[in-house]
Amino acid sequence: MDTTTPVFSVEGLWKVFGPKADRIPGDPELTSLDQAELRSRTGCTAAVRDVTFDVRKGEVFVVMGLSGSGKSTLVRCLTRLIEPTAGTIAIDGEDVRAMDRSRLRELRRHRAAMVFQHFGLLPHRTVLDNVAYGLEIQGMGKAERRERAAEVVAKVGLEGMEHRRPGQLSGGQRQRVGLARALAVDPEVLLFDEPFSALDPLIRREMQEEVIRLHREEGRTMVFITHDLQEALKLGDRITLMRDGRVVQLGTPEEIVGSPADDYVREFVRDVPREQVMTVRTAMRSPAADQNGSGPAVAPDATVSEAIEAVARAGAPARVVDKGRCVGVVDSDTLLGVVAGTEQPAPPGTEQPREAV
Amino acid sequence: MATITANPSRVGLPGLLKNRAVQKLLLLAVAAAVLVPLASARFASGSWPGALTVDFSEPLAKASDWIIDNRDSHPLFLYFFGHVSNVVVIAVRAVYLTLLAIGWAGVTALGALAAWRVAGVKLALGTAVAFLACGVLGMWVPTMQTLALMVVAVLASVVVGLLLGLAAGLSDRMDRVLRPVLDTMQVLPAFAYLLPVVLVFGIGVPAAVLATVIYAAPPMARLTSLGLRGADKEVLEAVQSLGSTARQRLLTARIPLARKELLLGVNQTIMMALSMAVIAAVIGAGGLGDRVYQALASVDVGAALAAGIPIVLLAVVLDRVTGAAGERLGAEPEPRSGLGWLYALIGVVAVAAAGRLAGRLDWPESWIVNIAEPVNRAVDWMTAHLYSGVPVIGGTADWAGHFTTWVLDPMRDGLQALPWWSVLLIVAALAWVIGTWRTALTAVLAMAAIGVLGVWKPSLDTLSQVLAAVAVTLVVGFAVGIAAARSDRLERALRPVLDVFQTMPQFVYLIPVVALFGVGRAPAVAAAIVYALPAVVRITAQGLRQVDQAALESSSSLGATSWQQLRQVQLPLARPALLLAVNQGLVLVLAVVVIGGLVGGGALGYDVVFGLAQGDLATGLVAGGAIVCLGLMLDRVTQPTERRAKKGA
Repeated sequence: MDTTTPVFSVEGLWKVFGPKADRIPGDPELTSLDQAELRSRTGCTAAVRDVTFDVRKGEVFVVMGLSGSGKSTLVRCLTRLIEPTAGTIAIDGEDVRAMDRSRLRELRRHRAAMVFQHFGLLPHRTVLDNVAYGLEIQGMGKAERRERAAEVVAKVGLEGMEHRRPGQLSGGQRQRVGLARALAVDPEVLLFDEPFSALDPLIRREMQEEVIRLHREEGRTMVFITHDLQEALKLGDRITLMRDGRVVQLGTPEEIVGSPADDYVREFVRDVPREQVMTVRTAMRSPAADQNGSGPAVAPDATVSEAIEAVARAGAPARVVDKGRCVGVVDSDTLLGVVAGTEQPAPPGTEQPREAV
Repeated sequence: MATITANPSRVGLPGLLKNRAVQKLLLLAVAAAVLVPLASARFASGSWPGALTVDFSEPLAKASDWIIDNRDSHPLFLYFFGHVSNVVVIAVRAVYLTLLAIGWAGVTALGALAAWRVAGVKLALGTAVAFLACGVLGMWVPTMQTLALMVVAVLASVVVGLLLGLAAGLSDRMDRVLRPVLDTMQVLPAFAYLLPVVLVFGIGVPAAVLATVIYAAPPMARLTSLGLRGADKEVLEAVQSLGSTARQRLLTARIPLARKELLLGVNQTIMMALSMAVIAAVIGAGGLGDRVYQALASVDVGAALAAGIPIVLLAVVLDRVTGAAGERLGAEPEPRSGLGWLYALIGVVAVAAAGRLAGRLDWPESWIVNIAEPVNRAVDWMTAHLYSGVPVIGGTADWAGHFTTWVLDPMRDGLQALPWWSVLLIVAALAWVIGTWRTALTAVLAMAAIGVLGVWKPSLDTLSQVLAAVAVTLVVGFAVGIAAARSDRLERALRPVLDVFQTMPQFVYLIPVVALFGVGRAPAVAAAIVYALPAVVRITAQGLRQVDQAALESSSSLGATSWQQLRQVQLPLARPALLLAVNQGLVLVLAVVVIGGLVGGGALGYDVVFGLAQGDLATGLVAGGAIVCLGLMLDRVTQPTERRAKKGA
């Protein structure tokens, strides 16, 4: 996985708003200040501070943080909707900050498309023309772009609504239009800026399922901004947690929940139902030699709650089976340990499937 | 006024002194204590000192003479103003002849079918009835003249306004330059625009059209800029994120997103253009306005009414149709709307052709109903029976007389008797307490400029009329506005009345007051009150109704009576709206009081009319300048820190 070039590679990224913002990232005395001090000293606000991460091809990369943590600014810096102050951004190895205008337009037109929190639809256009808008910008002919748009509209489940206006749609439907507009240009990577936070909880879940489905079907790389931890855990292959413009922790959902980097993260994930995030892999112990044959089988990346169900049904410990081989065993004790949080999983980085003896 | 009174427990100054308003007044008093003795020692107290006036009439007269002498020879006129003038004349003439060629039936069909396409069947019927009424009143040809002038002026205003608005909407620097200019133009009375145009173009159609454009283009420019700047940021960001060029953003997103404001701009431009096209009769616009003007000059109320009714009908129809077009926008996508327009066009052509073949292009004489005579008989009867001597209540002329002797005269004399520096001091104090030191400075400078222009006395005369009219307007307007805000039924009943009154051009208001009160200052004041009242009522009612519902609910949950609610919650929270009502009241009243010069209002308005009528442009221009200063002063004095978004009328 790590051998291919990352889709986005961000290093030492800064975005400072305010007068003479340029001087701040380079000045070690100023960079050590916190937000309030920085503002009173310089009148500047550092929305993004020294952020580094890679987005791998095909993954859902979630940037998660509370409001004001700089996550929305960060995602806008990726395509330079907001001009970064310092640092490097590369898409497929190409320096984004060095791009001239036309190259940047090319990037926005074909390689990265964005879905917005309040949808950002054009109220005077029909659903179909909204979806076709990105193609129109590219200069595609009317018939062709409408045909393409109609396909995408069907893909996001809006058949029959092609000729409505955004004002006649519900929030969830509008965001499907926003999603379809981004998909219509067939981008390499989809950027989501808190796309579902303006929606009702039920609709939100439905849209999350939709995104998961699309990701499963197309395997498109996604960068997903959210302030909702549940959403982050549900969608993210990897999550970066931001606070005051800095990355606090970057890891898989399991790592974030299982081994929080600091008290802030620990407080954040305290109410997360651990059994739904932690996988069997962390909970299992080495199998005894005699247990090879009996008990229900679960996959190593099944969640603990799935394993609990299997163990409870069978009334016996379950075997963790990877590619036909038994790699471990989970019983009610180990599973309960995960739920209670007493079981300390392996520290991040060292986490590897333990081989059978 | 800063109502945040200081916490009395804090040591130091007594609470009163911490009030911002009191602080400002104290500071001003100190300044006055130093400056006033100096000023009164140097110049006489009382009226504006002659030493401080500059006589502009001679240089202005020279300039005016020079322009008249060189109008046919100087290259500036030959190659610029001459061409402008020619183009305007040709355009108006072309539209006028086209309208006549289509014939009355064709024009009615054109109006009705266009209204049908943009605003629906009901308004189409209304439009047809309005046009036919113009014919029945015997005003077909003047109506077409006014319409031709309007078409040209509106098109030019919209184009100019759009260009300025685009500049201000897209460039921050242009916005900073244009905004104060447009804001100021918005508060100046229409009358003030007439003379400079006449100076350059002479009396005639080009001057009328240009004055109309100057008056009507600012709202278009303001609303265009407002619409471009008010576009949903996220939509623009989304459009940008798809890789659009700046041009694509403008054409596919920014302008379409601003279409509501653009249409509102067109609506306001049309209404202002109509208002001005009628007033511009004074400088040779012809048409309906001219008929009213002539009739008023000979106090022929019947003839004035016959020309005034078509003006009102035109105003209502134009306002409703363009307003409805704006509201329909974006509501429903209309399939086959092109086809509808085609039908409409075919209809117009068919009707026009039929009219032509039947030889009925002109409105048939026999269909004209002469209302002038019966109206004049009614007016005569009124003069005989209602003017005076009605038992107990007196007569209308008595009222006007009493109003003049007991209110207008004492106010005028009082104002004129005040030492000039005390007037400046009052202006400064009011403006500073309500607004900022900037508005106070502008107001004082504007007032001082009036003195420098040498028209201190007539200006104070005009000012006294304005103040009297505003006082009445505010008392009545606030009372009605509060009542309307508290009673849904009253508001529903008032709404159509206010709608009609707010669309009528200023000029029209002179007709009924002349019928009721004769000529003089009192009728001018009465017309101003009637003109300004709807805006004041509406702003007051809206302001009270827009008070935060949560605040109202919480106060009634605490058991407040409705009177307590009004006094303690609604009125304080609606303070900005009430101040806006005062501001609008002043601006609108001034506009009509000045026009009142046409019906014996005297003072500055009369000077303008006199200047125009006698060809004494210098006198007129000085009076016009004083009107501008007076308008500026009155606006700034009542200007809170925040500028309002749009004009109330």
